Amino acid sequence: MTDFKELTYVDFKSDQLVKWCPGCGDHAILNSVQKAMADLGYKKEDVAVISGIGCSSRFPYYMDTYGFHTIHGRGAAIASGVKVANPKLSVWHITGDGDALAIGGNHFIHAVRRNIDMNVILFNNQIYGLTKGQYSPTSKRGFVSKTSPFGTVESPFRPAELCMGARGHFFARCIDNDLKHQVVVMKDAAAHKGTSVVEVLQNCVIFNDKTHEAVTAKAFRADRTIYLEQGKPMVFGTDSNKGLRLNGLALEVVTIGENGITEKDLLVHDATCSNTALHLMLAEMEYPNFPVALGVIRAVEAPVYDQALAQQIVDVQEQAKIKSFNDLVMSGDVWDVE
Amino acid sequence: MKEIKLMKGNEAIAEAAIRCGADGYFGYPITPQSEVMETLMALKPWETTGMVVLQAESEIASINMVYGGAGCGKKVLTSSSSPGVSLMQEGLTYLAGAELPCVVVNVVRGGPGLGTIQPAQSDYFQAVKGGGHGDYKLIVLAPASVQEMADFVDLAFDLAFKYRNPAFILTDGVIGQMMEKVELAPFKPRWTNEEIEKNHPWATMGKKQRKERNVITSVELDPYKHEDLNKKLQAKYRLIQETEVRLEMIACEDADYLLVAYGASARICEKAVEVARSKGIKVGLLRPITLFPFPTLEIKRLAAQVKGILSVEMSAGQMVEDVRLAANGVVRVEHFGRLGGIIHSPSEVVEALENFFLKA
Repeated sequence: MTDFKELTYVDFKSDQLVKWCPGCGDHAILNSVQKAMADLGYKKEDVAVISGIGCSSRFPYYMDTYGFHTIHGRGAAIASGVKVANPKLSVWHITGDGDALAIGGNHFIHAVRRNIDMNVILFNNQIYGLTKGQYSPTSKRGFVSKTSPFGTVESPFRPAELCMGARGHFFARCIDNDLKHQVVVMKDAAAHKGTSVVEVLQNCVIFNDKTHEAVTAKAFRADRTIYLEQGKPMVFGTDSNKGLRLNGLALEVVTIGENGITEKDLLVHDATCSNTALHLMLAEMEYPNFPVALGVIRAVEAPVYDQALAQQIVDVQEQAKIKSFNDLVMSGDVWDVE
Repeated sequence: MKEIKLMKGNEAIAEAAIRCGADGYFGYPITPQSEVMETLMALKPWETTGMVVLQAESEIASINMVYGGAGCGKKVLTSSSSPGVSLMQEGLTYLAGAELPCVVVNVVRGGPGLGTIQPAQSDYFQAVKGGGHGDYKLIVLAPASVQEMADFVDLAFDLAFKYRNPAFILTDGVIGQMMEKVELAPFKPRWTNEEIEKNHPWATMGKKQRKERNVITSVELDPYKHEDLNKKLQAKYRLIQETEVRLEMIACEDADYLLVAYGASARICEKAVEVARSKGIKVGLLRPITLFPFPTLEIKRLAAQVKGILSVEMSAGQMVEDVRLAANGVVRVEHFGRLGGIIHSPSEVVEALENFFLKA
């Protein structure tokens, strides 16, 4: 018998050569998921990583866990099947903005609506990278790409709105160049029972370089993002002197110390509030008018599909008069032939 | 003056679509054919001919946008590669059932499943035998050059509207990606609404006074009428089989052995014919240009002349079944082909021919 050994993040790395471009944000996400799994004391055999198609979807090859590399857009459905068939597995669905929100939009919203216990890690680089640079459903209006050489004429999805619109109970956002925070968010997502959607603002160095840079670059990240923490006032800024408050039905950025504003005037983050109104307002904040919200924006407890399904089977079996094949054969009109 | 350009097969599809007066293109990125949509977007036909180009959210959306456009009597097309075309099968069977003309291009890559991004010819069954459910046929054209990629877009639209049936261009990653000289056709104007109303009275162009209401559907709720609809479709397919077979024959007159190949494999086999003849083996090539309708009669005729037929496809052997049906046991028919995205060389083809037919 081998001794039980705590795994480190290195143990979750497979023997495959990681084939993402040097400098791609995907490398950091891979590391943070591996670190989160090690920190949570996961065993490799308890994890299944399921992806669709796209650069992000190479993820399962690089994890020394169970993995499926599946069909474009269908990862959420396949992951749902895995979780329902084997509820003991920790299921991680790795996807991108094209995979989850264009071709897979239908499966994405229904997985979220059912609240199947899985973690959806949505790499949002606002471009189709694998097919070499076409615009995606999260590309900004006017975005120039190979299939929109004169700019797109359509509005992008915000993943948070889709998630909450589909009655999602967990939504978090992090950025590819803050590994420490990513690990925290991944662990929160894993701990949450139900579908946890984590949007990672990820850079594509080749086809959409610096798309999130105005927000995520270290030099101005403190002023252009806000790290939300449960029960903490919504403070941000290099000097931690800016904050968010409600002004009527709208959010407002204020400066502590100006116009008599103190920390007490600021909103306090409550991800567990079932009402989506404030969570949506926070998730919709965009630079330059607002800081971009990072961290767990919404984490509400709700019935979990796979647990409810398993329980329903137990309940029905308990109530059933027929407990065995013999009971079934002997049910209805039966008689002895003498 | 002739307009000659060096272009990729995928670019030729795009250029030809604009020139033949297409009204709309709907697509979704997939390798190895994303250049079709990228070229269309770069050429901005909406500013010149008024043609619409739209990047859809999936191939399912693309084919159904085609369904909508076709129902209006417009010349609309989509293109994709194998996994994307699998997603389009539902739309295709509905289009065929509703007797709507459209053009669909499949730049085939290796399968099954996700497969590779390398060229293959393993979607023959899907294109020629159905792919979707029900008794239906697509008119299937197989270009073997970049010139034919350009020419067949116009031809496919002509056939699609002549027979009110989807026309399918079955090509592969070789023809899609390679560059050749193309003589471009002159621009044809797009049809006006008046022309569509006059020539395609079935199109949903809006109900005018004393005009029948047009409804696009693939179903008759009365099962006997639905059988009649099916019989009408079958009669149409028979007519297509009788009138629209297209093929090319190379060095078949004195051939002792016959190669049958389409698309990129036919190009390879052209060279194989030369190699074999330099070795003293009299080999000919029959290249089906239409895969449905299939050149059954011509193969049947040659089967009586030759000592063996080799069907050469970048697949595990799909077209070979139709070649065997045509030869009908008169002569031995074998298959040769590399799989999953690997392309055979002319010498491999000749070697296969020798192994099958010339070794005791």
